[in-house]
Amino acid sequence: MSLGDRARKALSKPSPYGVDIDVSSYAIEEPQVFEELQVERGVEEAVESKIGVRPSMSQYLQLGQSAFYKLMEKSLEKYGVKVMPLRVAIGKFDIVRDMAWRLVEPDTDKYTALTYIYGGELGYFVYVPPGVKVPTPIYTCLVLRAERRAMLAHNVVYVDEGAEAHVVTGCTIPHGVKGGLHVGISEFYVGRGSRLTFSMIHSWAEGLHIRPRTAVKVAEGGEYVSYYVIYSPVSSIQLFPRTILDRGARLHAASVIAGRAQGNYDVGTKAQLEGAGSSAEIVSRVVAFEDSKIYARGDVEGLAPDSRGHIECLGLLASPNATISSIPIVTSRNPQSTLSHEAAIGIIAREEIEYLESKGFTEDEAKSIIIRGFMSIEPPGIPDMVRAQVKRLIDHIARAGGL
Amino acid sequence: MLLLKLEGLNVCVDDRVVVRGVDLDVSCGEVHVILGPNGAGKTSLLSAIMGLPRVRVCGGAVIFEGEDITGVPAYERARRGIALAHQFVPAIRGVRVADIVRHVVERFGGDGYEDVLEILDVKHLMGRYLFYGFSGGERRRLELYLSLIQRPKLALLDEPDSGVDVDSLRLIAEAVNYAVRSWNTSIILVTHSGAILDKLYDITRVHIMLGGRIVHSGDIDVARVVLSKGYVEGLKVLEVALQ
Repeated sequence: MSLGDRARKALSKPSPYGVDIDVSSYAIEEPQVFEELQVERGVEEAVESKIGVRPSMSQYLQLGQSAFYKLMEKSLEKYGVKVMPLRVAIGKFDIVRDMAWRLVEPDTDKYTALTYIYGGELGYFVYVPPGVKVPTPIYTCLVLRAERRAMLAHNVVYVDEGAEAHVVTGCTIPHGVKGGLHVGISEFYVGRGSRLTFSMIHSWAEGLHIRPRTAVKVAEGGEYVSYYVIYSPVSSIQLFPRTILDRGARLHAASVIAGRAQGNYDVGTKAQLEGAGSSAEIVSRVVAFEDSKIYARGDVEGLAPDSRGHIECLGLLASPNATISSIPIVTSRNPQSTLSHEAAIGIIAREEIEYLESKGFTEDEAKSIIIRGFMSIEPPGIPDMVRAQVKRLIDHIARAGGL
Repeated sequence: MLLLKLEGLNVCVDDRVVVRGVDLDVSCGEVHVILGPNGAGKTSLLSAIMGLPRVRVCGGAVIFEGEDITGVPAYERARRGIALAHQFVPAIRGVRVADIVRHVVERFGGDGYEDVLEILDVKHLMGRYLFYGFSGGERRRLELYLSLIQRPKLALLDEPDSGVDVDSLRLIAEAVNYAVRSWNTSIILVTHSGAILDKLYDITRVHIMLGGRIVHSGDIDVARVVLSKGYVEGLKVLEVALQ
């Protein structure tokens, strides 16, 4: 059966995790690619204020089903880095055709199927040549700009042997958009001895359903660092990226999740330790405000000797109406694999607030300090600009926590 | 100049009265020591002066700089110049010492804190999470540091000599002496062991607290008698002497 046939059969197949939604109620615009940037001033400002990335400065911008790239790619030409819509890359390079839909199957669920059939292979393709260490982050920006629409993106990143790159993706909506569906399929290939840091900041809104589907393959001695932050309300989000690690490969995954309003957040990270000496560290900090429900998942599977995996999930209930479920899974299939997990959920301790009050802080200020500290985790090697932006977002979350 | 006046102070924890009828006058630059066994009500008394919600003033008043602050919340008392160095401090993961120091200095001003930083030898703790995995001495020294950088007019020190090694004890005493002599800070120091007393330069008055009451007050000799003979026997000796 062809991939297309398999995808069509999967159009009504729900995801094993998260809230199931009816995807047929969202309109999908005709996918288009533009070489010149066309972004309204209001959108530019809204996006920058929410995720700290100026759309006009990003190397790839997708507004709904319109992709913009050509001029923006120029800044990375001197490094030999290629950034372009996946659709363009598939037309130009045979290798991209082989990479696309190899780590994520089109019939995984209705969201992958929808993207395979209707996405037009919009989304970004990034290629970093062997040995090239790109000093500046590669910014990509995905913006859902109209109500009741679906934005479908398919991203492929290939960091070749011994290379190093930082990819930063901001996903958001302009002010006022309150309903829609975002699906992002991402397939990342981290070559032998190479390093990819991927930072993703999500700022959505009530009424939005978000379904990223990510798989990463890290070759021998490679390193993949994932830094994920979501701080906005959503209607629902479900993501559970999977990383496959070869011999001596390493994964550091850090997630900061602030659940707001009545959002349903089903967020996690999965690691498969397939190579000897591979390792994975999955760390998450989860704060549930208001009526939010958060499912924090971590899953490490030890398949090879001398592999190591650790999951650390700490949750803070900032509202009596919120819910956090922490679901760590460690599975060992090799006696020489060492796996562990730590999960704890609590409220802000009364004695901590009282202590800070005695140092001159009001109760709200004390809560803000505690929440800010709780959420401040940083995986190694994240670019300074990203670190600063995440710090601003955490300050924003902490201030909200003091209300 | 009179700084703090306690007038017939009763303190309750839940419905239990744990401090009864305490009267105390503390003037600027004075050092008052409250000696008493475990459970005597010493910590509850300091908590009530600080205004911590864990205790409730159920009689009497706390007067600070001539104003009744009995109903004023803890953070406001801190801003007015009262600091409490807690006996038990919470370890707060994720909150770095340096961040708390920055917040406190922004709020209270930074004059003199470099001196105290050196005296208490806490510079190396700045990158650590607040009290997380600290030794007893590190906890006590940092807590005193965080209290003193508020440049308080009145510092309440709850068992600063409990569970610390001799080197930390020397540094803690030195910092207290520095605050009194350089900043004219008033001190109320609570201790059950009295280990720090012979290292303090200026002790104005020693009070013995038993069963929630201050049962006797005097000079440093009162402490010497009680610490050498125990509270019960010591008080007998003192009463005999007084008679």
